[in-house]
Amino acid sequence: MLTLSRVSRRYGETIALDGVDFVVPENTYMSLLGASGAGKTTLLRLIAGFEEPDQGEISINGERIDGQPTHLRDIGFVFQNFALFPHLTVAQNVAFGLRYRTNAPLTNETEIKDRTEEALELVGLTGFGHRAVSAISGGQRQRVALARTLICEPRIVLLDEPLGALDANLRSRMCDELKAIRERLGVSFLHVTGSETEALTMGDKVAVLANGRIMQTDAPDTLFSHPGNADAARHLNAWNIFDASLCRTSALDGMIAVRFDQMDVSAAGTGPADRPTLAAKYLTGEFNGPTALSFFRADDGTLFQIVDHLSQPRLPDLVEGQRYDLHFPPQALRQFHGAA
Amino acid sequence: MESRVLRPVLAIYSSIFLLFLYGPMIVLAILSFQSVDGGPQFPIREWSTYWYQHLLGLTETSRVSQLPVGDSLIRSIVLAFMTTVVSTVLGVMSAEAFRIKFKGSGPAFYLIILGMMVPGVLVGLGMALLSNTIGIGRAWWGTSFVLHVVYTYPFAFLVMLAIFNRFDRTVEEAALSLGVSPAQTFRRVTFPIIFPGVLSAMLFSFTLSYDEFSRTLFTAGRDLTLPLSIYGTFSVEIYPNIFAFGVLTTLFSFTLLVVYGLLMKRFTSKAARFKGQEDG
Repeated sequence: MLTLSRVSRRYGETIALDGVDFVVPENTYMSLLGASGAGKTTLLRLIAGFEEPDQGEISINGERIDGQPTHLRDIGFVFQNFALFPHLTVAQNVAFGLRYRTNAPLTNETEIKDRTEEALELVGLTGFGHRAVSAISGGQRQRVALARTLICEPRIVLLDEPLGALDANLRSRMCDELKAIRERLGVSFLHVTGSETEALTMGDKVAVLANGRIMQTDAPDTLFSHPGNADAARHLNAWNIFDASLCRTSALDGMIAVRFDQMDVSAAGTGPADRPTLAAKYLTGEFNGPTALSFFRADDGTLFQIVDHLSQPRLPDLVEGQRYDLHFPPQALRQFHGAA
Repeated sequence: MESRVLRPVLAIYSSIFLLFLYGPMIVLAILSFQSVDGGPQFPIREWSTYWYQHLLGLTETSRVSQLPVGDSLIRSIVLAFMTTVVSTVLGVMSAEAFRIKFKGSGPAFYLIILGMMVPGVLVGLGMALLSNTIGIGRAWWGTSFVLHVVYTYPFAFLVMLAIFNRFDRTVEEAALSLGVSPAQTFRRVTFPIIFPGVLSAMLFSFTLSYDEFSRTLFTAGRDLTLPLSIYGTFSVEIYPNIFAFGVLTTLFSFTLLVVYGLLMKRFTSKAARFKGQEDG
């Protein structure tokens, strides 16, 4: 179990992390979702020991690891750019940790060879050992990076946007494989990403990092349907967040949120009386396959997005520049307290 | 249209420039094949390899005494080798230090660079005075050696600084995260990747030290290095054996360059593969 308590990191005037409390349980795939610049990579680098926190404690199974040198922490790290050793072959890359690590390095060549082949098999690269790392594709490099880390049996594996450098097709395949590999090994993965779909797909649990803090940690479906605060909701890219006073009929106040797929549209003035309704101008639509996204702007400038599913269309024909009534069932809204 | 005129003009200009650059060396090489009774000028009386034999002591005693370069050649090579090792090691270490901003890194940088900027005559004279004052004997392996390092170390440092500028730090971090100690990481990852740069730094240090004159002049003491002893022969009378020697040392330099080129080729092909890594 990896525990961070009140971990802070500053770079000059900018505060990257501001008292992060965070727990990664045993045998868990944890996704960490955050916008770029939110401090995701900083958090991983602190855990790995490439940098030290200004304040706070990091520990694994109760043993404090901050202040320890990186190579004694026993934590795996998979880099976004893979960071393979360019002068070594695939097999030498994978065997690197076993051969040269400080704690109990292996000297028996047959054992190294067997373990290397085992690791390559695990990531589906049997027979690629003799290749130069330049002679394999991006997805294969990713697997080599993974095999190189996993062969050392670290206590936890940190993945820094591991799919960011891959193309979309490969990304979804690697998603499944990463999950499968993790389940076979039973080690915890902490996967950092800026993509909400990736975070929700991969994680047994998803944590949202914003403003230098962990805003919420929950199972993917819970997080998606019940974001605990406006920041968490904003990162899911599925919630309209707006001031309740925009609604004509409701007596609500403060910031409220309604999911993209739970809002309906009617011609101006015809919104049902039993539903909270607000007026907005239709801006434009965006078609992206199975769903279509429509954009509206309310009177105070708030942007609204509404998802329509191709198989069950529920929006009327929309004309750009026209005003419409947007409404939603009262039980669909979530209300947040405090500032957004 | 423009290139049809421009290209030939530039080509001719470049050829003339190269000819001008290598003209002195070519003249020297031709004159080195002068016959016994010929002087250090044209015309060539008769083509011969007499002066090469003379240089190597293979001829009967002649009116011209043998060039006293044997010992000084060895001294110069040993000195250049010592300088190469020390400067390169220092250069790599300090460039490694400069990867992280530290307090006083600005002044430290300029103090290192100063070693190649200050006039050699001044440093040489200063060193001679200093060694006299504190009572240290001047010697090519002592006072000269120190000045050679002071002179060549900034070059090695700058080369390594450029190499580390392009160095991807994450491969080192990857090695550390695999449980490999910093020392092993340097040996197994950093050094193999920066090796082409180290070779260049060595080449710089060696050639600069090998023909360094002004700093050595004041500090070498009794035993002379090669540039000094060649200069010494000028004060008597010039014979073509000096030209023969010039050709031989040039060939030696070319051999060094070829070795350097071959090693570079071997290692940069790997470095090129490294670049391809980003575009997966």
